[in-house]
Amino acid sequence: MDNKTMQSASEDHNLQWNQWQLLDSILPTGGFAHSYGLEAAVQTRLVSDPDTLETHITHILENTGSLLLPYVYKATISPNMETWFELDRTLNATLTNEKSRRASIAQGSALLRVGASVFTEIPFLKNMRELALKSDKIKVHHAPVFGVICGVLGFGHGFSQRAYMFLTLRDMISASTRLNLVGPMGGAALHHRVAKSAEGLVKRWMDRPVEEACQTGPLLDVVQGCHGYLFTRLFCS
Amino acid sequence: MESGLAVVDKVGGRSTLTRCFAKYPLKLISPTKVGSCKSDVVWVYMVSFGGGMVSGDHVSCAMSVGDDCTAVLTTQASTKVYRAVDSKSSDQSLQVRVGCNALVAVLPHPVTCFATAKYKQKQVFSVSRSSSLVVVDWVTSGRYECGEKWAFNSYNSTNHIISNEDQQPLLLDSLVLEQGSSMKGTYGMQDYQVIAMIILLGHKFEHVQNEIQEKVKKKMSEEFGMRLTSKRQHDRDMKPDLTYGRSRPELIASCSTFGPKDAGLVIRVAATTTGLVYKFLKEHLASLEPLLGASPYY
Repeated sequence: MDNKTMQSASEDHNLQWNQWQLLDSILPTGGFAHSYGLEAAVQTRLVSDPDTLETHITHILENTGSLLLPYVYKATISPNMETWFELDRTLNATLTNEKSRRASIAQGSALLRVGASVFTEIPFLKNMRELALKSDKIKVHHAPVFGVICGVLGFGHGFSQRAYMFLTLRDMISASTRLNLVGPMGGAALHHRVAKSAEGLVKRWMDRPVEEACQTGPLLDVVQGCHGYLFTRLFCS
Repeated sequence: MESGLAVVDKVGGRSTLTRCFAKYPLKLISPTKVGSCKSDVVWVYMVSFGGGMVSGDHVSCAMSVGDDCTAVLTTQASTKVYRAVDSKSSDQSLQVRVGCNALVAVLPHPVTCFATAKYKQKQVFSVSRSSSLVVVDWVTSGRYECGEKWAFNSYNSTNHIISNEDQQPLLLDSLVLEQGSSMKGTYGMQDYQVIAMIILLGHKFEHVQNEIQEKVKKKMSEEFGMRLTSKRQHDRDMKPDLTYGRSRPELIASCSTFGPKDAGLVIRVAATTTGLVYKFLKEHLASLEPLLGASPYY
C-alpha cells in the first residue's frame, strides 16, 4: 500500500469511529424521551399486538423519510450557517404538529450541545450553538442539525440520511420495549426485520429537495397530537 | 392564465364583490342572500361543470380580499375527482390574499377521489398580522359505501400560509397519499374513511380557538381515561391484546398551535364516516356564524 492509500484508509477509519459514536445510544441526546406517537397509538388502539406494532413503526419511518430526509440531505451537502437558518425556519413552519415540533427542538438542541462539546475540532458547531442561544428565531430542529453535523464531519449524504432513519428506528424500538409492547430480544429481532423495509424507504425518499417534503401518514399525525390528552404517559411525546 | 378570479373590497362601507370572473371548467357563483342582511360578508361558491374534476382538468383560482372585508369561499357539494384517463392528473390551485383586519373563510365540502383518480391541489394564503383566516381541507377515502376505500392512485394537498409583511412562512403543510408507499392499500388509514384539517389563524378567532382546544381535550381525554370494567384475555397464538377488548374511537381529533406567539391553531381529525366530521365541523365552527352571516356546516 502506498502512503496516499494508507492515509486515505486511515481517514476512513477515523470517520468510522465518529460515525459509531454519533449513532451510539449512549450519546446523551435525549432521544429516549420521545415515543414518536407510539404511546398515543397504543392508547387509541391503533397498535394492539406485535403485527400492528411492526406496521406502525414502518409507517412512522415512511413519514420520517418523506418529511425529514430532505432536510437532512440539504444540511449535509450544504453545512453552512445560511442554509441551516433557512432549513430551521422552513421546518418550523412544516412541523405543524406541536408535539413533534417540540420533540424536534428538544432533540436538536441536545444534539447541537453534545456535538459542540464533543467534536471540538470543528469550531463551526460551537459557533452554531452560540448563535442559537442568542437568537429566539433559531429553533434548532433535529433533522437540519443532524445533517449539518454529518456534513462537517465529512460523512456523505447517503450515510446521513440512512443514519437518520436508523436513529428513528432505534428510538422507536427502545420506546416499544419501555412501553412493554415487546421484550428486549423481541425488540432486537423486530429491529432487524424492519431494517430491510427501512432501507427500501431510504431509497424511495432520499436526495429530494425540501420543496417536496411532505406527510404520508395523516392518521399518525392525528394520533401523535393526542399525546397530551393521555391519561397516563411515560414519554414526552 | 387563471380559470377564476374574485376580488372583494369595501364599497360604501360594505364588503362587495367588485370583480368576478371564471372560465370552464370552473364557475363562481356569489348569491346575495346567504346571510342576514345585517351581515357584511361576501359568499362565493366554487362550482365545477359536471359536478367534479375530470382527468386532465387544471383549475386555478385567485381571490383578493381587501382590508376590513369578510369573505367566504365554499363549494356546493363534495368535489368529486373522476378516475384518471391515461394517467392524467387533475389539479386545482387557489391563491388568496387576505388584507389587514380582513377575514377569509375557506369552507368546502370534502374531496372524494374515485378509484384510480389522481389529484393535486395547492392553496397559498398570504396574510397580514391583523388578518383572520379559517381553512377546512378534507378528503374522504372515496365512494366508500360502494366499497371504494382509499382506492385512488394519488392525492396531493398542499397548504401554505405566508406573511404579507416579511414573506416568511407561517405554515407549510403538504399531504401526499400515493400508491407504492409502504402503507399499502389504505395509506395507513385502517378503518378511518375521512381525514380533515382545520386551520384557524388571527385575532378574530382567538375565542373559537380556545373553545375548540378545551372541547377536543375534554372529549379525547374521556376517550383515553375510560376505566376498564373488564379485561378480556385473548388467546391468539400467545400474542398479547393490548386493547383489553376496547374498540377504536370512531373519531380522533387533536389540536396544535403554530406560528409566532402560537397565534394559529391546526386541528386534525380522522373519522370512520363523513357524517361524523360534518357533525364535528358544525359543532366546533358554530360560533363563527355571527362573523360569517350563516352557519358554515349545517
